[in-house]
Amino acid sequence: MLAALRSSAAVVRTSLLQHCRVSVVATTYRGAPEGRIGFASDASSNQPHATYLDKTEVTDRVLALVKKMEKVDPAKVEPTSHFQNDLGLDSLDTVEIVMAFEEEFHIEIPDSEADKIFSCQDAIQYIASQPRAK
Amino acid sequence: MSAAAAPSPAQARALLKAFMREARKFPNYNIREYVKRRAKEGFKECQSISDPAAAAAAFANGRAQLEVAKRQSVVYSLYAPRVKSIMDLKITETTL
Repeated sequence: MLAALRSSAAVVRTSLLQHCRVSVVATTYRGAPEGRIGFASDASSNQPHATYLDKTEVTDRVLALVKKMEKVDPAKVEPTSHFQNDLGLDSLDTVEIVMAFEEEFHIEIPDSEADKIFSCQDAIQYIASQPRAK
Repeated sequence: MSAAAAPSPAQARALLKAFMREARKFPNYNIREYVKRRAKEGFKECQSISDPAAAAAAFANGRAQLEVAKRQSVVYSLYAPRVKSIMDLKITETTL
């Protein structure tokens, strides 16, 4: 009598547990992970370019560009070099070099900012502060 | 008259910049580089002008030439070369 009750209870329990497990597994897999993935991709697609370039990388690329200028003596180029005082460039060359920075880093430098760039240091600082620079 | 006033250095720089921006639009390498080179040359030639009237005339001429460049960039973009110039290709040691 007791044994029969126990075995029937076991049958009921296992069938109940199996039933529960199936339904629980199904809902959790459908729901939570997909929702989380969707949210993550939304967050990353909102600001795909909002990354600042590393300052050492900017420095290297800026100096490489300045060294490529026809008039510039590559040996003289330092991160602190002033275009007109140290490198012997004039205001026209400065315009040219700023345009070269625009092309290299895929940014547009407005006139008001371009007029403030007088040295490699200024350029590095400006470009490093631009989230859209590539 | 405002046209006779000598352009400020900032105006001159802006004009050179406009030339360089216009030059970028030419799809043809040779023309693109020529426009850049010619614009720089033109500005270098006029750099030493001290007479305000002559400077104003040179500036007006530059603006007229910029309009020419704008028209030409449209025309050249209609007949863009199908093949890139070899000068436009990024060649590294590994591609050689």
